[in-house]
Formats: sequence, structure tokens, C-alpha cells
Amino acid sequence: MNARVLTNEFAKMRHLHVWLLVAVLFVVVAGIGLYTAVINPDFDRVTASSWNTLLGGIGSGFSLAAPLLLAAIASRHVDAEHQGGGWLLSATSGLTPGGLCRAKLLALGLLVTGVTVSASVLFAATGFAFGIDAPWPAGRWIGLTLCVLVVNLVVLALHIVLAARIENQLVGIGIGLLGTILALFSTAVPAWIAHLTPWGYYALSSASGYVDGVLVAFSPAYASIAGLGLVAAVVFALFTRSFDHQEI
Amino acid sequence: MNVFFAELIKLKRSLSWAVVILLPIILVASGSIMTFIDGRGLEDGWNTLWMRSMVFYGLFPLAVGIAILASLIWRAEHRGSNWNALMAGPTSSLRIVLAKAAVIAVLAVIMQGIALATVLVLGKVVFGLPGWLPPQYLAVSVVVVIACIPVAVLQSWLSMQMRSFAAPIAVAFLGAGFSAFLLVVGLDAAIFVSPYAAVSRATQLGTATFADTGDITLAVLAMIAVASLLLSAVLAAANTLVLERSDART
Repeated sequence: MNARVLTNEFAKMRHLHVWLLVAVLFVVVAGIGLYTAVINPDFDRVTASSWNTLLGGIGSGFSLAAPLLLAAIASRHVDAEHQGGGWLLSATSGLTPGGLCRAKLLALGLLVTGVTVSASVLFAATGFAFGIDAPWPAGRWIGLTLCVLVVNLVVLALHIVLAARIENQLVGIGIGLLGTILALFSTAVPAWIAHLTPWGYYALSSASGYVDGVLVAFSPAYASIAGLGLVAAVVFALFTRSFDHQEI
Repeated sequence: MNVFFAELIKLKRSLSWAVVILLPIILVASGSIMTFIDGRGLEDGWNTLWMRSMVFYGLFPLAVGIAILASLIWRAEHRGSNWNALMAGPTSSLRIVLAKAAVIAVLAVIMQGIALATVLVLGKVVFGLPGWLPPQYLAVSVVVVIACIPVAVLQSWLSMQMRSFAAPIAVAFLGAGFSAFLLVVGLDAAIFVSPYAAVSRATQLGTATFADTGDITLAVLAMIAVASLLLSAVLAAANTLVLERSDART
């Protein structure tokens, strides 16, 4: 894959208004997350629990908005190839369908990374703007951001493969909607159940949460999320390789 | 009417039935699954069950479900040369708009029926509640169905305009989220502007959540119904005007 392939993917996004969907993702995450954090009674603007509510806000914002919107982003960007005969066109110009999927993951992944990091910075900036006295929990903050980023990229990769493999985009969107439910429930189920689906890992990323009604600090499940990232990378590589060996 | 029946024929082998059946069952049930996970009981019987099942379902999954149906219904017209066939046919824009919206609304009615049946099955079989669902919730269900109509008209318009399958669904998600926010802050008048707010508000009737007081009065029912019908008429008229100005695509 070269730079021209990647540039081409960004060029396709312009007419598909993918940036708009990405902006929607940012707005919804910021809206839901900041609102739930700031109205939380534990957001006292003084103690460390204020930072914990903001960390919780990042988690709930992404787990509610990302599953469906990442499905929509991937579907929008991949469906164009189905509609315009793009698979064959790319293959005849030297870029295999698997290569095209990898280029799409890289291009969309850059945007999703931008959204995830910007949202995290926005939440931190909000905390500083409120003048929270307790020190900023840098380690957990960066850890949560990285974990959410990995889960977002894994979900994105899953939807790119789905959208490419199954032409009817209902399937991908339906799975995205189901993913939203799974992400929401994963916060309430035992950890081993949360490990079963990619969306459950949003709950495993949490850096704060309620134990018996008290807001406490957690350490995100780094090992589980690293495992998810590794497995997803291998599976994505295998799937996209198999695309290259199929007739278009 | 012929246009409407033509749309029904198109539904025969469509995947929309999977959405119509599975979406309400999964989402209504999932609202109550939390009751199991948390180990909380249904303190107020059927009222609590309705609240846990319906309010979540109405917040965004219902609007997203209607959006998916609208995308499926319009998908056929955007493929091959079907759009040009639609433009070249003798059917007036108004009839196309009404037939498309009507078929989506009919599917939404069936979805609400299935949602209601799911609540009944959950209450009787899973939770073993005494008696039956209080009759006022049947009236609420009728209002939910009416409130689905403007969402159906709006989503039909969006799916007509956007050739993408996913984009109108993202709009519904964003619209429903924003409308939920307006209802959280107690801005009940949002139902006159946003179809998503109208449908969310209808599912909250009698639950004392969001903008609801917990009392189901005739005034509130009438307000949501009137808002829904007004929005439907305005959106259908606007959609017709836009379609009237559309042309074949080369």
C-alpha cells in the first residue's frame, strides 16, 4: 500500500461526506459523555471523583455512540465500492480487494483515532476549565484513551470486513445496533461475559466505576484489550488475505 | 392504492421482516434483562416492566429501526436504473411519497404490536406478574404508533435523498439522541419540531421519566397525536415538493 492509495481513500470520503459522520461521532460522544459527567452528583469540582466522573463520561459516550456510528461510517465508505463497481476497478489497477480493505481501515482508522484523542482532550480540558483541585490522573486517562481507541479500531475493522463481505448493508448496521446493546449491558455483567464480544471491551476499558454505590478508580483491563487487539489484527489480516484469493 | 400494493409486493422477499420482528423483541427484552442482572424486582408490577422495556426502546432504537426500514424500502429505487424508472413512470410525486411513507408506517405499526406482545410475554411468562397490562398502555401504544408516522415520513425522505444505506440511520441516531436531550431538560415543545422527540415522548407516557409527569391525561395524548399528524403533513408536503423537482439520473 502506498501513499497514493491512502490519499485516494480520503478523496472518496469527500463526496461520501464521511467526515460528517465522523463529526457526528465526536459530537454525540462529547454531548452524552460531558452531560452525564457534569450532572453526576459526584462531580463536585474539587475531589478526584470529579475526574472519575469525566473518565466514566468518556466510556459511556463511546460505548453508546461508537458501535452504531462506526458501523455507519464503515458501511458508507465500503458500500460505495459495491455500488460503483470499485472492487473490480481497483483490482484491475493493481489494488486487490484485501488491499483496498486495509487501505480503508488505515484511512478511517486515522479519523477514528483523531476523534478518540480529541474527545479525550476535550474531557480533560473541561475538567481543567472547571478548576478541579485534585491532580489530573494522567496514567489512567491515557490508558483509558488508548484502550477505547483499540476497541474502536477493532469494531471499525469488523465492520469494514462485514460491509465488504455482505453487500446488503442491513447486516452491518443491524450488528452495530446489537453492539450498542451489548456495550451497554457489558457494564453490568460479570467480566468474563464482557470478554465474549468486541463491544464488551468498552466496559473493560473503564478507568472508574461504581462499587456498591461508591465511585472508585479502576485500572483498565490492559491485558484483555491488548489480547483483543492482537486477535483482531490477525483475523483482519487473514480475512483480507482471503479476499485477495476470491473472484470478484 | 396501487402504488401502495406495489410497495407491499416489494416487501415480500425483503429483509425488512427480520428487522420488524427481531428489533422490538431484542430491544424490549433487553430493557428488562437489566432487571435480572441487577437482581432488582418489579416493584410496581406491570408499570415498572413497561417503564424498563419501553423507555429505553423509545429513546433511540425505535427511531433507528424505522430508519433501517426506510433505507431498506428505498434501497431498491437507488439500484440499477430503478430511479429513472420511478422518474419516468406515470405515478405522481405525492403518491410515491405517501406510498413509501405508508408502507414504512405499516411496518412500524407491526413493530409496535410485536413490542407490546413481547412486554406481555415477559410479564406473564418470565416475571409471572398477576393480571394483565393496564389498559392505559394500549392507548399509549396507539399514540406511539401515531408518533411513528412522522418519523416514517422523515426517514423516507432522507432515504430518498441519500443513496447511502447508512447515512439516514446515522441522522436518526443523532436526531433521537438530541431529542432525548431536549426531553431531559424538560423541553416538551420539542415534539412539535422533532419527530424523534414525538416518538420518544410517546414511549415515555405514564412512566414519570424524562419530561413525563407519570399521569396519562387525554390532553397529553392529544398533544402528541396532534404534533405527530402536523409534522407528518408538513414533512410529506415538503418531501413531495422536493421529489417533484427531482429528475432522472444519468
